[in-house]
Amino acid sequence: MAASSIEDLSRQFRAALDAASSPADLKALRDDFLSRKQGRVTALVKSIATAPPEERRALGSMANALKQEIEQALDARDAAVLATARPKDAMDVSLPARRPWMGRRHPLTQVRERVEDIFMAMGYQVIEGPEIEDDWHNFEALNMPVAHPARDMQDTLYLSSPVPAPDAGRAATLLRTHTSGMQIRYMEHHDPPVRIIAPGRVYRRDNFDATHTPMFTQVEGLVVDEDISLGDLKGTLNAFAEEFFDARVATRFRPSFFPYTEPSAELDVECQGCSGRGCGLCKHTGWIEILGCGMVHPAVFEAVGYDADRYTGFAFGVGIERLALRLYGVDDIRMFYENDLRFLEQIAL
Amino acid sequence: MKCPVSWMREFADLPASKSVSEIAGAVAAVGFEVAGIDGDVIDFEITANRPDCLSVRGLAREARTVFGVQESRGPGVQESRGPGVQESRGPGGQVTIESTLCGRYALALADVTVASSPAWLAERLTACGIRPINNVVDVTNYVLLEMGQPMHAFDVARLAGPEIRVRLARAGETLTTLDRQSRSLDGTMLVIADHDRAVAIAGVMGGATSEVSASTSRIALESAWFQPASVRATSKRLGLKTEASSRFERGADPAAATVALAYALDLLERIGAGRRVGGITDVYPSPAADRTLALRRSRLDRLLGDQVPDADVVRILTSLGFAVTPTNSDWHVHVPSWRVDVSREADLIEEVGRHWGVNRVPATFPALRTAPHRSDAGVLRARRIRRLLCGAGLQEAVTFTFIEQAAAEPFVAAPASLVTIANPLSEKFAVLRPSILPGLLDALTYNRRRDIADVRLFEAGAVFSMLGERQRVGWVLSGARHVHWSQTSSDVDLFDALGIAELLAEAFGVTCRSDPATDAPWFVAGRAASLLVDDVAGTRRVGVVGQLRPDLTAARGLPAGVTVVAGEIDLHELHGADAAPHRVTPLPRHPAVLRDLSILIDASLPAASVRGTIRANAPTTLVDVREFDRYQGTGVPTGQVSLSLRLTFRDRDRTLTDAEVQQALEAIIEALARTHGTTLRGN
Repeated sequence: MAASSIEDLSRQFRAALDAASSPADLKALRDDFLSRKQGRVTALVKSIATAPPEERRALGSMANALKQEIEQALDARDAAVLATARPKDAMDVSLPARRPWMGRRHPLTQVRERVEDIFMAMGYQVIEGPEIEDDWHNFEALNMPVAHPARDMQDTLYLSSPVPAPDAGRAATLLRTHTSGMQIRYMEHHDPPVRIIAPGRVYRRDNFDATHTPMFTQVEGLVVDEDISLGDLKGTLNAFAEEFFDARVATRFRPSFFPYTEPSAELDVECQGCSGRGCGLCKHTGWIEILGCGMVHPAVFEAVGYDADRYTGFAFGVGIERLALRLYGVDDIRMFYENDLRFLEQIAL
Repeated sequence: MKCPVSWMREFADLPASKSVSEIAGAVAAVGFEVAGIDGDVIDFEITANRPDCLSVRGLAREARTVFGVQESRGPGVQESRGPGVQESRGPGGQVTIESTLCGRYALALADVTVASSPAWLAERLTACGIRPINNVVDVTNYVLLEMGQPMHAFDVARLAGPEIRVRLARAGETLTTLDRQSRSLDGTMLVIADHDRAVAIAGVMGGATSEVSASTSRIALESAWFQPASVRATSKRLGLKTEASSRFERGADPAAATVALAYALDLLERIGAGRRVGGITDVYPSPAADRTLALRRSRLDRLLGDQVPDADVVRILTSLGFAVTPTNSDWHVHVPSWRVDVSREADLIEEVGRHWGVNRVPATFPALRTAPHRSDAGVLRARRIRRLLCGAGLQEAVTFTFIEQAAAEPFVAAPASLVTIANPLSEKFAVLRPSILPGLLDALTYNRRRDIADVRLFEAGAVFSMLGERQRVGWVLSGARHVHWSQTSSDVDLFDALGIAELLAEAFGVTCRSDPATDAPWFVAGRAASLLVDDVAGTRRVGVVGQLRPDLTAARGLPAGVTVVAGEIDLHELHGADAAPHRVTPLPRHPAVLRDLSILIDASLPAASVRGTIRANAPTTLVDVREFDRYQGTGVPTGQVSLSLRLTFRDRDRTLTDAEVQQALEAIIEALARTHGTTLRGN
């Protein structure tokens, strides 16, 4: 028995400890060295009795130190292994989570509210009105008297029998073909200045296919004051287009015709699909038509009793479906009305 | 309007260097959208206000103005203004206009040899989409395309002479038109008649009997002006749209009638098809008055927001055919007869703006001179509802406002209250929805058929009855309440649908209670609730909630065994504290004392009655009563249920003693026994 064999034992333990990785290895290691019956350290301590008396004291203290060192190392290692071990009640975090139910606003609503928000931030008031209308508000006051050829532009759905108005006004005879009638309804009861938008559903006797729908959503806008110009219309709609498309988009105005505006125009924005180079989305023109607009026709002011010489104004009508088709990259308008959850759940929350 | 550029060049000295697509683009930029280009032919879309541009000459005029070029010397006669020769002798007899629906009627005779047209003429017609027929008919169509003036040729031998009458059709009169259709006419329709009968529907289509044929030797050539509204009405009523009617109904040029007639006669001669016989008969009872409008510089600047130089204003208007006379800083503008769309100053400003270029006008921003108004309450309310219901896990749907009659009928008391559409596109879109629910049910079925079983949808919008339009919100729920691998799922039931109603009511500051509903037959009997609100004005119903009847869901194609619960609230009735801010109550500072009570009651006794009795017999320190268990089965006698309630007692100012709570509880137990014959469970 010599001090060197104690040092050997210590070395052997270190090597074995390095090799031990599992709790079972550690348990075996503990038994191998510290077991009361066969432990190697136990045997070492016993063997000290056979050493020369003058060495016993020193050997005894070395053996004790080794025992303590091994115990401490094993304890530390046990604790470390325990800390990284998978607890018995561990959960498999890779399993599917339990998601709270969360609905989404319909894409048409999201686009509509986005349009509303942009104009509200510009100081517009959002108003709403009836979907079943009378001829005066839908046509006549908008400079479309009976037999006006422009009535053909909007194939109208009529009611089988008139439905009385709530306020003893004119009975409704048709489904509104545009929300432009809200211009009239508002101006009949308010003096200028006017700054409104009127969103809502509108109806036309159109087929229901990939590009047409008998019901769609429109946002009508109207601004009336002294000295409102075509320049103001351009500035306002350019600001809207930039905000809506979230970029500096190129716009262009093309002269057009609406009975209730003069001059009239259509606003195109540069096609987002091809940056104006021309693609299938824009029918290879590089431009996408997004709305119709113009300066309020003096006959409209006269119909509501505004002084057509003192006031000028502009009006515009945005088709929400048209914007939504672009925004979501949808190529069939029917998807907005099928309410297929596989489609609706792809729309951002 | 399909327009060959080569033809257009006869009337506009367009730069030779400009390609067809460059010309198309430039004319499109002044308001004539291009539908397509095919070789030399540009297909322009002409807006309803510009009948003058349903012609080659009209489009050439626009192109001239765009490119700043002169009129080239066309083969035709010059445009003339003012009435033609006032004669009223017809082909051997009198032309009489018997209705104000005809403003002008010109007629000339020609001897013809009917044959094919020369190739150049036939090719032009074909390019414009009109089928060549014979030299006589082709000449009328050629003039129509070039000048926009519809014409008609009659075979004189087939007319019962001697007079031509422009009159209203007689009741019961019929006419076989050129397309071989027999047309029933009525007293609102204007016709051209010979001595005996109608031979043409004025401005729409000629009759087959007097049609020009191979054997025709003498023709009567008509060039007239008919009232637009009359032509439009007749064309609509007959369902007959023609090249002629589409021009007359938008407004032909009244001055063009005789000019076009003279041009047509020249053409007949030029192509060797015939020779005129005698002069032009022209009946023009009240020639159109000259129109002169004032154009103010101040108004022009104000409306456009740009200063177009004087020279450009004059150049643009003159090139378009207006005669411009400067007066101080303003102008007097004479409107050419073909511009039926120009009747006021704003129309002139549009002309200047169009050709000056809307894109050149500087963009400005209108000043906000007054504080913005608050948006309509209904708009803000709908926004709140959408956010609330999305947060509650419901997906917003958008369904059609018009639905099938069969889908609507189960949701109304009487079919007569349905608003029906007079001219629906199809049976699927025949009535206006009386409720949000049929549309949502169809949307649910659509998803279910695609194996999407767990569906929760809502929609806010208008519903209709013969009493008018109302705003409602509706919701449908079906499938599992929770879907997760860790637990077995249970399906949604009536109480899920009721919970949505409670949430909505609470959000609008309204306290709602549910009563059994017996007047909502679309719900399963015994599984329908009326949502009632009590306030100073009395009790009002704000909506209904229930389980949809299985036969009704099956009729819409939903598989058997699928339970659908639904609810609907009238938003006009949900108006409690809508506008008022929700004030908070201070939090309690003293602890509450809780007592649980399990009682046996008759199974038919509503929980609301039990709650009512408890509240009526409790001190004010009872602040809450809530059911936490309802049990029927072992240990509970048949016909009875065990109802467990938790009572919360609390005083605002002090801590309650056990003794006083016990005393209150005993009084409640005693009252329950007395009122409902309840017994404490386990006693």
